[in-house]
Amino acid sequence: MDGRLNEPHLGRRHFLKGAGLLAISFSLSGAMPGLGRAAPAAPKLGPYGPAADELDSWIAIDTAGFATLYTGVCELGTGSHTALLQVMAEELDIAFDHAKLQPPDTNRTPDQFVSSGSRSIAYHAVPIRQAAAEARHALVAMAAEKFKVPAEQLVVENGVVSVTGAPGKHVSYGQLIGGRQFDLKVTGAVKPKDPSLHKIVGTPVHRIDIPGKVTGSFTFAQDVKVPGMLHGRVVRPPAHGASVIEIDESSIAHLPGVVKVVRKADLIGVVCHREEEAIEAARQLKVSWSAWADLPDMKDIHQKLREVPIYAPGIPAKYPGGVIAKDGDVESALTGAAKAIKATYESPYHLHGSIGPSCAVADVRPDGVTIWSATQTAYGLREAAAKFLGLANDKVRLIFAEGAGCYGQNGADDVVIDALVLSQAVGKPVRVQWMRADETGWETYKTARVTDVRGGLDADGKIVAWESNAWGFSGYSRPEYHEPKQGGEPGSLVTAQLAGWTTPGLEEGFNGIALESAPYYTVGSKHVVFNYLGPASHRQGPIRMRVGSMRGVGSPDNVFMVESFIDELAAAAGADPVEFRLKHLSDPRTIAVVKAATERAGWQPRPAHSASAENGDIRTGRGIALFGGGKETRIASIFEVEVNRKSGAIRVKKVTVAHDCGLIVNPDGVRNQIEGGVIQGISRGLMEEVTFDRSRVTSLDWASYPIITFPDVPDEIDIVLLNRPDLPAAGVGEASTKNVWAGIANAVFDATGVRLRRLPFTPERFKEALAKQA
Amino acid sequence: MTSVAVGDETAMRRIGVTVNGTLQAGEVSVRLTLADFLRQDLKLTGTHLGCEHGVCGACTILLDGRAVRACLLLAVQVDGHSVTTVEGLAPSATVLHPLQEAFCAHHGLQCGFCTPGMLTTLVEFLKDCPDPSAEEVRVAISGNICRCTGYDSIVEATLSAAANMRDGS
Ligand code: FES
Ligand code: FES
Repeated sequence: MDGRLNEPHLGRRHFLKGAGLLAISFSLSGAMPGLGRAAPAAPKLGPYGPAADELDSWIAIDTAGFATLYTGVCELGTGSHTALLQVMAEELDIAFDHAKLQPPDTNRTPDQFVSSGSRSIAYHAVPIRQAAAEARHALVAMAAEKFKVPAEQLVVENGVVSVTGAPGKHVSYGQLIGGRQFDLKVTGAVKPKDPSLHKIVGTPVHRIDIPGKVTGSFTFAQDVKVPGMLHGRVVRPPAHGASVIEIDESSIAHLPGVVKVVRKADLIGVVCHREEEAIEAARQLKVSWSAWADLPDMKDIHQKLREVPIYAPGIPAKYPGGVIAKDGDVESALTGAAKAIKATYESPYHLHGSIGPSCAVADVRPDGVTIWSATQTAYGLREAAAKFLGLANDKVRLIFAEGAGCYGQNGADDVVIDALVLSQAVGKPVRVQWMRADETGWETYKTARVTDVRGGLDADGKIVAWESNAWGFSGYSRPEYHEPKQGGEPGSLVTAQLAGWTTPGLEEGFNGIALESAPYYTVGSKHVVFNYLGPASHRQGPIRMRVGSMRGVGSPDNVFMVESFIDELAAAAGADPVEFRLKHLSDPRTIAVVKAATERAGWQPRPAHSASAENGDIRTGRGIALFGGGKETRIASIFEVEVNRKSGAIRVKKVTVAHDCGLIVNPDGVRNQIEGGVIQGISRGLMEEVTFDRSRVTSLDWASYPIITFPDVPDEIDIVLLNRPDLPAAGVGEASTKNVWAGIANAVFDATGVRLRRLPFTPERFKEALAKQA
Repeated sequence: MTSVAVGDETAMRRIGVTVNGTLQAGEVSVRLTLADFLRQDLKLTGTHLGCEHGVCGACTILLDGRAVRACLLLAVQVDGHSVTTVEGLAPSATVLHPLQEAFCAHHGLQCGFCTPGMLTTLVEFLKDCPDPSAEEVRVAISGNICRCTGYDSIVEATLSAAANMRDGS
């Protein structure tokens, strides 16, 4: 990587030259824009980067007519950058191959808050679409001025503005503005295109990052190199709450390449000349730690969740006491019900399990700091880093480098603190990569969960009461707030905590973790409570297991509860699970996905576990699970499973998914995301569980934390996309994971009559449930 | 430099390896893994490290045409041999390998971190098995983990590449 990128405060003028270097990844897909062509001058930088209300903060057009989108959205390996470029190209009326992208860089791109998997397109496309529409409008006005005709007489195609009926009268965007700034505010006064006119949005364009990724030329965060860079590795405590007693530096005196052993409170690292030297030095460095063994016994975790005091300060005012929905008198409705049932659903901690361990490079110099890292929150992480170092925001620059797929908050933000501490200690740029065990042992996990549910049916099999009580820790331990707040804090990062940082982190956890816990069915009286346990980390909180957001945050657990229980109610009513659901649904879009999925899968109505003519060890069954409502994506999926009653093994053979995410920007991208979400959901549902002893997480590698491999992938995932061009694009990345666990449990019930209420559905769990039932 | 003292952390040895068709010669530490040699010394960062203990498959390269894990091999072990990394799969700077083409056309990846290992594993596989079934493709890559789970698109891409390669030969 070029040394110039190492200067903390490059103007945008320089950037386009540097871009070619970052963009070696595109070498097979065509030249980068701007090489040798004049680019506009840098926009003004506010505390959160280029101002969002300046058109030039978003779009720059060079003399050859290439438009560069400056986005604060972090690409998480889902194709969101490609989709955002589709949106810009569409509104600008340029060819897709003339749309280029500058990834997040706090000196060059506007703040676009948190890029969580499902929100990237739904939410982040809005200002981009608006800016592009206004840029087109301005360009057309310039052409109108040039040709002295009213704007209505002009048409734009592929970045060329022509006068209708006057062949030869045309001018390109490059000629109109190339290399100059618009110097306009984004006003919101221009209306973006009507979706019926879309030519690029809604089509399966090829992702811009794939060519570089198949040739190996793409620069991941793990591949960033800067001149003079040293290599670091960290040494984590062997118990979550342990503190350093002593470091024996002589234990690595015989090793080559050691530059320094660094300690800041309980954050320990080694800096070496070469990477393999740092790995060896970290492995051999003798550190004595205090004893710590305050984790609960793993088998008691769900009981312990019930005993942790509610974290009242984190519950938003609109949900006093954590009550999410209350309607009527559940107690008397249950007493009066013809039939009442109850169930408890439990799940373990889950790992994000990025394939590439987190990695960052930091260069801490007296005159400024540069950081290269993956993250979902470029500006928040920058501010967190600045606060951690005691510097002003504008002394720190964060350059986003894409990591391996993250599915939520992995160690990407944390490793930045490691890199800052090590770089500061040696006065040189230092690259720190976590080892596999650092990642699996210290990233954030999906919280373990327990939920009690009770429900009642009247004599006609209609639901008259629904009560749920859920317990779980926060889904938020990010360094940045969501909009409209801005700013970052290092306090939730476990590495900052190790380094002795005590100011608390941000607290926005309730909404995410309670998401979708209220039934989207008509249920009569209801009482839905989320007992919020607040943030938790290896170093803080009542149960020292670190929690953070993972694909869907609380939704997969909440939908597991709702969709399992609705199925249990259907069984209690002796009804077909689909008909029973439809009877209690009112949202037309949700009903539409249910119908689409059942038609596609050829669903024949009958109560679950009523058709079984099978009597060998191998049983087959089908189950439905859905969710959706409000502005969210609707999804209905049908799972077909095969269960070996003897071995307990469950195999998902086929999944049929009907999916409505509003406007579809890139159908191929949507299909990929759905498929990935379903398969990851199956993996989490069938085999994943973070294990721990009294001191620490013990599932530290892929052997102790197995995830799905090819043999367990369903034979078929059949996807029906319902496009709603009239509606805004809603989330994609998370939806298809949310209903997987219930779908499998419902299908297993159909196959065997055994109800699985505790994740993961391992062969042992199935056999336990079978034995309990017998 | 013929013998290396056991436990000597600083011993160096001279090696010569053909990497993507070019002979690379130099002194390396006897403890240096092939993956670190490729990534650090040759700047071939397309070979990714996911677990550094042989489980995930991200670091798979071709050693004399056979798919092996670069994190489990030492650089000195490949002295005199030929290594192909993901950077060496394309026949030229402007033409992709049919598998690379197919991964582009079929979205055979999401984040792409596992992709180099998938590609090298599949290049070897398609040589041995030019006309595979979907099931055979699944088995062939069952040792490579993809957390984004673009598994189905990988199978699709592989079948399409295999067909193109058969047509082309
Ligand atoms: S890094 Fe070599 S197999 Fe995982
Ligand atoms: S594409 Fe992300 S791990 Fe395979």
